[in-house]
Amino acid sequence: MATAPVAAGLKPPTKPRSKPRDSISSWPWTDRIAYGLCWAAGIALCAIAAWIVLYMAIKGVSYLKPSLLVQSPLGSPDQSGSGGFLDPIEGTFLVTAIGIAVAAPLGVAVAVWLSEYARPAGLARAVESGVETIAGTPSVVLAIFGLLIFSKSFLAFLSQTSAGGAVFGRSFLTAGLIMSLLAIPLIVGSTREALAQVPAHVREASYALGKTKATTIRRVLLPSVRPSIASGITLGMGRIIGDTAIIVILLGASLRLEGAGGAPILSILRGTGSTLTSYVKENSPAGEGNAPQKAYAAAFVLLMIVIALNAIVMRLSRGQARADGTV
Amino acid sequence: MSGGSRDRRAELTLGTVAVGVLALIALMVVIVFTKAWPSFAHNGLDWFGAGGDADVQLKAMIQNTPLPGHSIYYFRAWPLLWGTLLSTGLAVLIGLVFSTFAAIFIVEFAPDALRRVLDPVVRLLAAVPSVVYGLIGILAIAPWVERNFISQQRKHSVQQVVQLTGANLGLAILILTVMITPIMVAITSRSLAAVPRTWTEGSAALGVNRWRTTWRVSLRTARPAIIAGAVLATARALGEAIMLSMVSGSRGFAANPLDGTTFFFEPVRPLAATIISYVDGLSVVPLAQTLYAMAAVLLVSSAMLSLAGWAAKQPLKKYGIRA
Amino acid sequence: MRRPSRTLIVSLIAAVALTAPAAAGARALLLSGSTSIFPLMTQLAAAYHKATHQPTPKVGQGTSDAGINEVAAGKVDIGDVSRDPIIGVDPHGLVFTKIARDGVCVITNPKNPISNLSQEEVKAIFTGSVRDWSEVPGAKISGSIDLVDRVASSGTQDAFQNIFLGETLKISPSAEAEESNGLVQNKIRTDENAIGFVSFDFTPGTNAVGYQGIPCTLANAKSGQYQGVRNFWMVTKGVPKGAAAKFIAWITSGNAITKKIIGSDWIPIH
Repeated sequence: MATAPVAAGLKPPTKPRSKPRDSISSWPWTDRIAYGLCWAAGIALCAIAAWIVLYMAIKGVSYLKPSLLVQSPLGSPDQSGSGGFLDPIEGTFLVTAIGIAVAAPLGVAVAVWLSEYARPAGLARAVESGVETIAGTPSVVLAIFGLLIFSKSFLAFLSQTSAGGAVFGRSFLTAGLIMSLLAIPLIVGSTREALAQVPAHVREASYALGKTKATTIRRVLLPSVRPSIASGITLGMGRIIGDTAIIVILLGASLRLEGAGGAPILSILRGTGSTLTSYVKENSPAGEGNAPQKAYAAAFVLLMIVIALNAIVMRLSRGQARADGTV
Repeated sequence: MSGGSRDRRAELTLGTVAVGVLALIALMVVIVFTKAWPSFAHNGLDWFGAGGDADVQLKAMIQNTPLPGHSIYYFRAWPLLWGTLLSTGLAVLIGLVFSTFAAIFIVEFAPDALRRVLDPVVRLLAAVPSVVYGLIGILAIAPWVERNFISQQRKHSVQQVVQLTGANLGLAILILTVMITPIMVAITSRSLAAVPRTWTEGSAALGVNRWRTTWRVSLRTARPAIIAGAVLATARALGEAIMLSMVSGSRGFAANPLDGTTFFFEPVRPLAATIISYVDGLSVVPLAQTLYAMAAVLLVSSAMLSLAGWAAKQPLKKYGIRA
Repeated sequence: MRRPSRTLIVSLIAAVALTAPAAAGARALLLSGSTSIFPLMTQLAAAYHKATHQPTPKVGQGTSDAGINEVAAGKVDIGDVSRDPIIGVDPHGLVFTKIARDGVCVITNPKNPISNLSQEEVKAIFTGSVRDWSEVPGAKISGSIDLVDRVASSGTQDAFQNIFLGETLKISPSAEAEESNGLVQNKIRTDENAIGFVSFDFTPGTNAVGYQGIPCTLANAKSGQYQGVRNFWMVTKGVPKGAAAKFIAWITSGNAITKKIIGSDWIPIH
């Protein structure tokens, strides 16, 4: 069918018209002020973030030497001479490893119980509020609680005992155990959310095939929420790495890793040391280290670790969304 | 092995773990309150009141020398409570306003390129360890504040009572705000983006401009999330010990608003920072009880915050809005 | 059935492995207390380990009063205390063993190199009656005086008040209270208007002010001319026993090693 001849002078549109936007000038002045405030807040946020990132990057890169990463700190409190922060880096990894090793199984177990069983209902609500309580408790409170119970003699195997019988109560094991309390709420939350997203028909299909609930959880549900468990663990790691209060109170404040005597690995676990966070604090003007350059370098390393962990979390949560079919 | 008993065993094991974690938390709460009780019992409600220098009272406990006319348990926490209230309260208030506007900007008004940059940046800021904020505060900002704002006159005006340095209430509020804003921005912007489009489009169809739509419709819908974010941020600010002990001036001093602008340059020390400062003295019984009393106050505050957050989320549940 | 028993065995082994070393191995002494004694004690501990092959004693710091309280509570074996015992205040049953003497110097920032202060001037400055550097003869800067004090549980503060201020006067409560000698040293190094007091070992980087006409140097302290000298004590609950007794005996024996270490920045008395 022939189209009607286009009238002379009229041209068909060649590009889409721009989105209709109501112009700001037509708004009442209160709304215009609010609009300006929004822009100001946004730009301020960008500026602050940029300033922090650039400042830490400049200071960190200028003060960070490879030798710092591989040398142990000096023995004395004054750190302004040579010596690096190898022991604090090892300490950070050690505490995080212990914390996650304890938190991951506990967190996943609690999340699975809350999501799949949760009987009796009152107990389930109590456990939920318990987990929320830890999430909201300041880490100082957790730390002094830890100091109290780990100084008891029946828990003396977790740290050292002095020649006179005093239980020291401060070691990597004790700090790591309390750190796990920080990570548990994050792992529980992440896993529960993911388990709730698993559609009912997946479980029903498994039961229809004759599998028990336990097998379903182990073989079907947990593997499918693995990215979320991993992202919960990574979030927990980030929180553990960033905490200073528990380290200051429960790690015994020795700049280098000092073993407790006895079997090699256990000696270190039951011994004292420091982490990057306590090292940064010690070398700031609030501590005796008198080495602000090393503090900047250590803070920069800490920041890099946290950024890397963040990137991993984002990658993992995208993986989970793809597995769920929501992306 | 029959599937039924395997199931029961699995449920029992998992249940035991869950109850074990609950028991641990309950143990912590019970221990903190039991240890804190004597301090409250000896001071009564006056524990929360004002009455002398908190530092002097704590030191008297360490030195086993009661202050003249008082028992060894004498303690008046008001300067510390006031410092906590000021630093946390003002930081959350400023942060709330700032983060709301910033979140609206990110969701509504930002150009696409800027939005793609801001999202990961906000998440990054929320993950920065507090020690790093404290370091920047005390090494970069405190000297600048001391050079430019703390003149000799200002120092002289309060010299009888306290010495002014760059680490003070103002710096504490500033750094706390910067620390908690990204959390609130992230939560608020996620919730604003989740507002049902039919609602915002309906409002636009009625001729309401974008700002009004956001203000009247989206923000109202996102209110539970904003409150949840504020609760989370307050909990984080309350629990912040090390960073505040670095930048807040470390003196149990009740900043005096009547001092005018000098008010912001006076040192304070919030509760969590006080606990950490005195943790060396835990072997002294009265001091340990006082520190546990402070811990109990912090626990109760965070519990009340959680309750408030939960209560605020209830109204919009009926519309199916998940905060 | 196979998997559960394997995990059981592994966990049993781990439990045994964890608890066994708790019983085996020689244990180290735990010390804590004065921040002034800390540098001396860490050197003595390292030398003790080298000389006798006993495990190196672990030294912490948390001010003298904290050390006294911890040793009384049984949390540490020996407390380091840099002030004299106070009858009626210190917990009962503690035994004080003197190990050395130490000088306490008033220090100022190098930009304010005051050479000497009399007793009246020190009293006036530290009690807060004089608040500005312009009122202090010999001061090279102007502005308000930033007083740096120690926390009240510090033995050094106790010694300073007794020796320099006398029985009745107390340091102005508006002064900034630092937790350790090192923090006072840091503060004085960075603040031009600051004045404070530290143990002699912590004077590098600052200007040590003479007292009553005598410069604050180690030689003057050893000779007895400089008056600001106080005792270092090691405190035990009851008479020292076992490993603690051996360590204290080694330190007070006056052997060449301890004499050399103590004589480097402190005053040996054995």
